[in-house]
Amino acid sequence: MSAGRFRDLLVAEWIKLWSLRSTAWLVGLGTLAIVAFAAQSSLNAYQSWPGFTAMEKAMFSPLDEAFSGLSASLLMIGAGSLGALTIVGEYATGLIRTTLVAVPARHRVVAAKLTVVAVVTLATGALISAGTFGVSQAILSGRGVAVSLGDPGVLRVLAANALLAPVAALTGMGIGALLRHTAAAVVTVCAALVIVPTFFRPTVHQWLDDLYALVPFYVWRVCLGLPQVREDPALPTVAGSWAAFALWPLAAAAVTLIVVRRRDV
Amino acid sequence: MTRFRPGIGPRAYARRPLPRRGNRPTARCGPPPSGDNVDQVIEVNGLTKRYGAVTAVHDLTFTVRPGHVTGFLGPNGAGKSTTLRMIVGLNRPTAGGATIDGRPFARHRAGLRHVGALLDAADVHGGRTAAAHLRALAAGNGLPRRRVSEVLEEVGLEAVARRRIGGFSLGMRQRLGIAAALLGDPPVLLFDEPVNGLDPEGVRWARGLFRRLAAEGRTVLVSSHLMSEMENTADRLVVIGRGELIAEESLAAFAARGAGASVVVRTPDAAELAAVLALEGGSVRADGGDALTVTGLSAARIGELAHQRRIMLSELAPRAASLEQAFMELTAGRADYRAGARTDAHAGHQPGHATGHATGHQTDHATGRRAGAPSGGAR
Repeated sequence: MSAGRFRDLLVAEWIKLWSLRSTAWLVGLGTLAIVAFAAQSSLNAYQSWPGFTAMEKAMFSPLDEAFSGLSASLLMIGAGSLGALTIVGEYATGLIRTTLVAVPARHRVVAAKLTVVAVVTLATGALISAGTFGVSQAILSGRGVAVSLGDPGVLRVLAANALLAPVAALTGMGIGALLRHTAAAVVTVCAALVIVPTFFRPTVHQWLDDLYALVPFYVWRVCLGLPQVREDPALPTVAGSWAAFALWPLAAAAVTLIVVRRRDV
Repeated sequence: MTRFRPGIGPRAYARRPLPRRGNRPTARCGPPPSGDNVDQVIEVNGLTKRYGAVTAVHDLTFTVRPGHVTGFLGPNGAGKSTTLRMIVGLNRPTAGGATIDGRPFARHRAGLRHVGALLDAADVHGGRTAAAHLRALAAGNGLPRRRVSEVLEEVGLEAVARRRIGGFSLGMRQRLGIAAALLGDPPVLLFDEPVNGLDPEGVRWARGLFRRLAAEGRTVLVSSHLMSEMENTADRLVVIGRGELIAEESLAAFAARGAGASVVVRTPDAAELAAVLALEGGSVRADGGDALTVTGLSAARIGELAHQRRIMLSELAPRAASLEQAFMELTAGRADYRAGARTDAHAGHQPGHATGHATGHQTDHATGRRAGAPSGGAR
């Protein structure tokens, strides 16, 4: 039977996502802003380079000019909000009732939503990761301090930068499904994904370090986002960091499926 | 796929039939009984929904059959919307269940092809255009894109298809909701208070549409809290009050429950005429001023009596048995009860009620009748 194919649900969710003007604005302006920020930061470094001390030159990280912690925060908040709004937008307006009468199989609706949001944010994250890298290294190559894709750790950093978006977006969906209230969901997304982890620092308490090592923004800052990873029991490992990147969206997807299925609408 | 069987009636969109892609016959046990299309019947069985101590719907059982417009009536807060939401699987019943096509609605994959429902015109995202809203719904059910323009034309919204729903009036949203319900050319249609916000022309259009959909052999359930809306639309009625079934019968049978036909008379000599009519066996009620409502005498007989006594009449108007009146009388006891107490704990202290219905149910509550309610249907 052709009706009820999963592909149909993906098309429906795709239409829903892009028929809201806010989606195009958020994705378009967000991408432009982060790439422009990389260009501005790299130009600044390019112009200041002759005045840098030897120490500053030795500490200089070209990848940081491309995609700083601020860029990562912006990307996570943007993607997290997008993910939250795709589900809160349905509950807050009541559209969810129309949606679920049209497609009563709730888990399929949620699966389609998760898939479309993951694909769109992964593509956006990849574009931003590649764009910021390309722009900044083109500028910095004028000073001979650019890195290339073949340099150690660079591809991992670029992959991690790109993956911040879908990780944040699916987490945002889970938060949105739980809270079902626009402002509450967006504030929680900002707090949980970025603001609180900003204050995490390696400590002398191993259990606290282990706890921090489960938080995507933290592991990106101290491990995945750096080309050279230090071996230190207080710091997360690369493998552990990837696991944290996988854990959050998977848990969020499970939460979304469960709460949407169980709750009356 | 559940589709109409030939012979039930003309297909709604016979001019533009849906492509029959991959029809799969539904498993049936023998021929359907007595001319009814068993696939289209809505069956509500022991449906109960409790929110904490409050019972919104209590042990509701009724059947809605194809080929008629069935009115779903009840005062505000009677549980109509809750019932409709449970029928389409949005709310999970505390006990009992509802089936469409013989199985719970939630088991259907392409919902729009089985049931079209307008539950609340506000259930849309104001940021999308009307066309985009319908396109997403159509896509999710594998319906061809042209259905969107077809239903927009059907409800008269083609001119605003590219405008965002946020700027729509309530009437336009109702039309959009009706358009969404028609998208999948479904054999069963549910409308919750569909004419709210429609202008008089729109109300007439909607009534005509419901009747036409029923005449095509579909099952059409239309809820309202206004009896008057049903008088010209529905053939059958399901009446509920305080979440319980009050009546399930034809419109005519329901109307007959009310006080019978009456005659309204206006005359400057109201007191004298009232005395005359009472003497002749009429039952007279003074409506204040120069108006009288008379039952038990025909308009012709009243005119004759007035003529004999040289009493001038300024108005002599027969009134058919009023549905509104029947509705009010039947639901009055329920409204009373609800205002007085909603929980079982208070039921025993309620004074007696005018109608047998209310008193009977009150006793049931006090004695914990729910213990016997079916619970196997809870999912």
